[in-house]
Amino acid sequence: MTFDWSVVWDNRWRLISGAEMTIVLTATTMAVALPGGLLLALLRLSPFRVVRSFTTGIVEFFRATPLILQIYWIFYVLPAAFDIRLSEFATALLGLSLNVSSFNSETFRAGIQSIRPGQWNAALALGMSKPQVLHKIILPQAMLRVLPALASTWVSLFKDTSLVSIIAVADLSYVALKIRSETYRVLEVLTAMAALYCLMGYPQAKLVDWLHRRLKVAE
Amino acid sequence: MITRAATVERPRIGSGAAPILRFEGVCKRYGPLEALAGVTFQVNRGEVVCLIGPSGSGKSTLLRCANALESIDGGRVILDGVDVHDRRTDARKLRRRMGMVFQNFELFPHLTVLRNVAVGPTTVLGMSPPKAAERAMELLRKVGLAEKASQHPAALSGGQQQRVAIARALAMQPDVMLFDEPTSALDPETIGEVLSVMKRLADEGMTMVVVTHEMDFAKRVGSWIVVFDHGKVVEQGPPRQVFEEPTVQRTRDFLSHLGWHGESLAASDLLVHSPSNTP
Repeated sequence: MTFDWSVVWDNRWRLISGAEMTIVLTATTMAVALPGGLLLALLRLSPFRVVRSFTTGIVEFFRATPLILQIYWIFYVLPAAFDIRLSEFATALLGLSLNVSSFNSETFRAGIQSIRPGQWNAALALGMSKPQVLHKIILPQAMLRVLPALASTWVSLFKDTSLVSIIAVADLSYVALKIRSETYRVLEVLTAMAALYCLMGYPQAKLVDWLHRRLKVAE
Repeated sequence: MITRAATVERPRIGSGAAPILRFEGVCKRYGPLEALAGVTFQVNRGEVVCLIGPSGSGKSTLLRCANALESIDGGRVILDGVDVHDRRTDARKLRRRMGMVFQNFELFPHLTVLRNVAVGPTTVLGMSPPKAAERAMELLRKVGLAEKASQHPAALSGGQQQRVAIARALAMQPDVMLFDEPTSALDPETIGEVLSVMKRLADEGMTMVVVTHEMDFAKRVGSWIVVFDHGKVVEQGPPRQVFEEPTVQRTRDFLSHLGWHGESLAASDLLVHSPSNTP
């Protein structure tokens, strides 16, 4: 069997633009899902039961169903049932954001609840309002604790963006699989795809490890 | 900070004319448990009222009810004429007037010592950060910890952390200081430095309510002793009476359980940490 690696080199710009899309999608999703997750977490800690149950329902739904289904659902059902038409990129972003927000909200909630009640009492006793306590005392401590978990989610998200190739968003997976079907150079293209994911993913995973070590010491 | 010292006399009698904090039949339940069963006593300006009694007798619960960290199920808490638990009362405004010191310090671990003390004035009083930092430094000097200002609480000993916590509460310039077992979580060798800061505060005329198991402190610094048992006040009076001629069997049982057999004041003086030994 002969290999023809030139197919990778010839398509290098398409692969790079695919990689760019993967990075943009990951970064944009996280930019939405961090405040989104925090908002959901705060709503789940609301004193009003209706708000709590409603948010819990949303979060549990997105955690309990596969991401691929969520993306398909937004892609096919929103236009058909509600006449809401989104671009492929917007669809992908919406699906990923809802999914990752739900996971982030659980992370934030655990972080907030891990701060002992005495910290609330001490801040309230100074005369702070509850939002002030949350903002000045609880969240800064909670953030530090959940940073490694958020970073892990980031790395998962980075790889999960490959699922959006099913709705023709031109990310690295989509581009690579397209080149494969054009050229039939399965091994070369898939190897290049793996190498690119690895090249981008490995430093991120290392960063997560570093955060874990770093913040563990700080505890 | 506290300059009223010279003008305030410390009434020896709980029914004196200048009450700042009054508990009137305060009740608190946790499910079937009656944590407070109608507690009534008052705190006059400049007094150091020590709450003593067995663990679980309701002393700490009462403190948390005093500044509305806990709701109450009956009775009233009156701070300077205002019903603390009234719906129309702004609990946050009242809490500013009551500094609280906790058994486990509860310093904010993500802030430096200086910011721990300054965060109340900047956040709650809207004071400018430089001005708050100035006030915080002044208070840290007062508790002997100015040189730790830029460190984080984790780098401090328990006694030092508790002194920072006292400074943090004082930064709000409260009318009353509430101490919830301030030395119970400390190593024996650091208890003295905290008690002597508290003693100095008392000497300056600060009104204090202290939940404590330090009987020497209660006897020597306290101006009024309230003995709790099973959520009730079983006896109250000046220290000399409570410690030397307790009128109630419960008090006698509690004191003898602690190994207290009514030593003379002079003898117990030897056990009290001198206020001048703070580093």
